[in-house]
Amino acid sequence: MYVDIQSLGEFSDLASQGADRAADALGQLAGANVYVDVTDVTLMAAGDLHESFAGREFVGVEIGLQGGISGQTVLAFELDAAESLVERLMPGGGDGEFVRSGVTEAGNIMTSGFIDGWADHLGVGIDMTPPAYVRASGTDILPDGVFDDDRQGVFMFESQVSSMDEDLEFAIYMLPEYAGFTDMLGHDGPVGEAGDAVPVNKLPTFNRMTEQGAASAADNITMMTGTETDVDVSRLRFVPVQDVPAELGTETVAGTVFELHGDPSGYLAILFDEASAEEVAGGMIPTETEPGIGDMEKGALRELGNIMTSGFIDGWANVLGTSIEHTPPQFVHDMGSAVMSPLVTRLGQTQDHAFIIDSTVRTPDGNVRCDIYALPDQRELAAALDRIEPPATDGGLPR
Amino acid sequence: MPTSVLIADDSEFMRNLLREILEGEFEIVGEAENGVEAVDLYGEHAPDIVMMDIVMPIRNGIEATTEITEEHPDASVIMCTSVGQEEKMKAAIKAGAEGYITKPFQKPNVLEAINDVVPA
Repeated sequence: MYVDIQSLGEFSDLASQGADRAADALGQLAGANVYVDVTDVTLMAAGDLHESFAGREFVGVEIGLQGGISGQTVLAFELDAAESLVERLMPGGGDGEFVRSGVTEAGNIMTSGFIDGWADHLGVGIDMTPPAYVRASGTDILPDGVFDDDRQGVFMFESQVSSMDEDLEFAIYMLPEYAGFTDMLGHDGPVGEAGDAVPVNKLPTFNRMTEQGAASAADNITMMTGTETDVDVSRLRFVPVQDVPAELGTETVAGTVFELHGDPSGYLAILFDEASAEEVAGGMIPTETEPGIGDMEKGALRELGNIMTSGFIDGWANVLGTSIEHTPPQFVHDMGSAVMSPLVTRLGQTQDHAFIIDSTVRTPDGNVRCDIYALPDQRELAAALDRIEPPATDGGLPR
Repeated sequence: MPTSVLIADDSEFMRNLLREILEGEFEIVGEAENGVEAVDLYGEHAPDIVMMDIVMPIRNGIEATTEITEEHPDASVIMCTSVGQEEKMKAAIKAGAEGYITKPFQKPNVLEAINDVVPA
């Protein structure tokens, strides 16, 4: 099954507009200044969702969809954000049932704003079930049906919404029914020129491959610094190019960026938060140095990035049957969004949306965190995926 | 005599909000939590206006509106819903709704919609 990239881009844009409407609705209801940080489409095997949601407590609203699109929508607030919302909607509170009713109705209104744009774009009606209040941990917040087959692919439209006024943040997760959605966007064979469509049945294999690349990069950190690390999350997202910098936020990061040449070409960024960068670099430098990130630390981070990049992309090249080279490391130390902007500017000359392959490597105590962002050329990646052997019955590469 | 209103919404929060907006200027004759109750309460009270949600359990607001307007051609129903889909708006009008406001709304939106249907 192939999904047309242009259609996926249109649906990504619709999700983005829907999230804007949802944020506007929340702003009116709660009297808060609310805006959408970013909207992206994550493509992954259902089983991989567990890592993304692990350890988080949610309050949310679940709504089933039938008609033009089938599936479930979940609007989820982190628990503390839900408490802020309740205080905004019902100052002084109320009994439990009434509070649940308020949160449910707020979720219902926001979700409708999200869905309306899809319905109008498709020229169909989308029936919504009455909203159901849910409070759950981790992936329990998501509809049960998503995990009927852990190897089954999932399209997850995710919008992060924030408030300028206070810690009112929430996410909209929309998970259209996989089969119906791919039927709507999909084709049995390639369409147009090579790279115009993504072979979605190969994405789980690609995700496994990315996880292995990230694991290899994590091993490199452990070997070079003596710090035990592991891959926390690895996922493939589809984002409007202009939104990529916002994905990284305003936190200051330090690390290295690389340009990739080959099939696919693109960019790779290996970024640490400042404290992690200092700790990791410190582990590589045998002598005592001044606090902060000086020349010695920069050199260490360049070398680490160089080795991690090779570990990361070698797996890609092997599975895709291609050769991928990378430029020497360029040290970066700036806000995450500022680091990504120049890369995106170049990528944006040839494409409107970008695939981001995003892996997080952490130490068990969480003191060191490294984010690896790969931004391959969209068409070249799609064409390369097409060349992967179909996934084995076990869902692809070993987990 | 004040204009009488029936509120049909499955959300207690939203019924409460509408009641707060309307109380004083209108007579709230009943509150329904689903489409079946809305039809029953309409038959019981014959209100001047029904504020009708669309997405409700048991029977949705469009079905309830169809039933009410078929039995009572003079009934005035205003859809009061979070759904803003063009297809649903057309379906609501076809069912006999005379007004359509989308949530979230402010008090002036509600009063204006009612005034359009039942001029003061």
